[in-house]
Amino acid sequence: MKVTLRTDVLTNNNKAAEFNRELFHNTKTLVINLMSSPGAGKTTLLEETVRALSKNFRIAVIEGDLATERDADRIRALGAKAVQINTYGGCHLDARMVAATLGEFDLDEIDILFIENVGNLVCPSGYDLGQHHKVAVLSVPEGNDKIPKYPQMFMRTELVLLNKIDLLPYLDFSVEEARKDLSEINPESILISLSARTKEGLHEWFSWIEGAYERCVLQ
Amino acid sequence: MHELSLMGDILQLVQEDAFDKGIQKIEKVELIVGEITNAMPDALQMAFDILRDQNLHLFSDTAELVIHFEEAQASCVICGMEYKPDQKIALCPNCLVPSGKVLSGETFQVLSYEGSNAQ
Repeated sequence: MKVTLRTDVLTNNNKAAEFNRELFHNTKTLVINLMSSPGAGKTTLLEETVRALSKNFRIAVIEGDLATERDADRIRALGAKAVQINTYGGCHLDARMVAATLGEFDLDEIDILFIENVGNLVCPSGYDLGQHHKVAVLSVPEGNDKIPKYPQMFMRTELVLLNKIDLLPYLDFSVEEARKDLSEINPESILISLSARTKEGLHEWFSWIEGAYERCVLQ
Repeated sequence: MHELSLMGDILQLVQEDAFDKGIQKIEKVELIVGEITNAMPDALQMAFDILRDQNLHLFSDTAELVIHFEEAQASCVICGMEYKPDQKIALCPNCLVPSGKVLSGETFQVLSYEGSNAQ
């Protein structure tokens, strides 16, 4: 007996993502899924974001890592709510893992939820978590070749934060080349250059978040 | 990417459907795997072999996995040319501008399965 299914392999993930999306919609919580390779500076960038935006927004963070509470502790030290997901070897967060943590948050009391995915430029891009926006962080020391070498990540994100631009004078990284490579993979994606360490360019990222929040609340 | 966990999802989808239909032994599973899904056919095959051997209450020990590979194709919104994208997915080789949209290669589906009621 042959049974035709034609069912998406990620059906169960996508159902969980819809569950999350509805909760985020009903509670008017803006959710941003941040992805990058390990060491691109996601957590440092989130620390600066929490520091700068906590005056105007109630921010919470879900941290994804294979092991340790280190990243969640760094966010908690700033007074923001953070929940750590440990994947114990899993290379990405999926929507069920996120759904399982949402009970720990009072989403009615949160304006912006950042999900810091497991550091990996491959798998996380394939999983819908129910977020409003997927954002990639790329850092100058990783080199220009990351955009062409990991096209799916940049095809499936709408914003690239090019971090560690304070290191540009010391490394052979071309911002122009990165913009060109990005446009050839995903012409709709935009690139913001910044440094979480020197704070250069951060205002542009914060403005982007504020715009996204306004659109989310108006929905 | 993480083919063992993907195969776990695939077999769960098959198992649930087979349970609903009273099918007890799965003999074949067919997938469509797109070129730009990040899923590797060889690794999926290996994951299938491992999980089948661990689940012989559900699978026949000769159960096979058939993968239909879906090539990536894109077409240019300006000149209409269809092309096979390299890593510069949106770059139309004719117009040389990023005006391409992906037509295929993103499918990742359980197409079908075969099974019987035999114990």
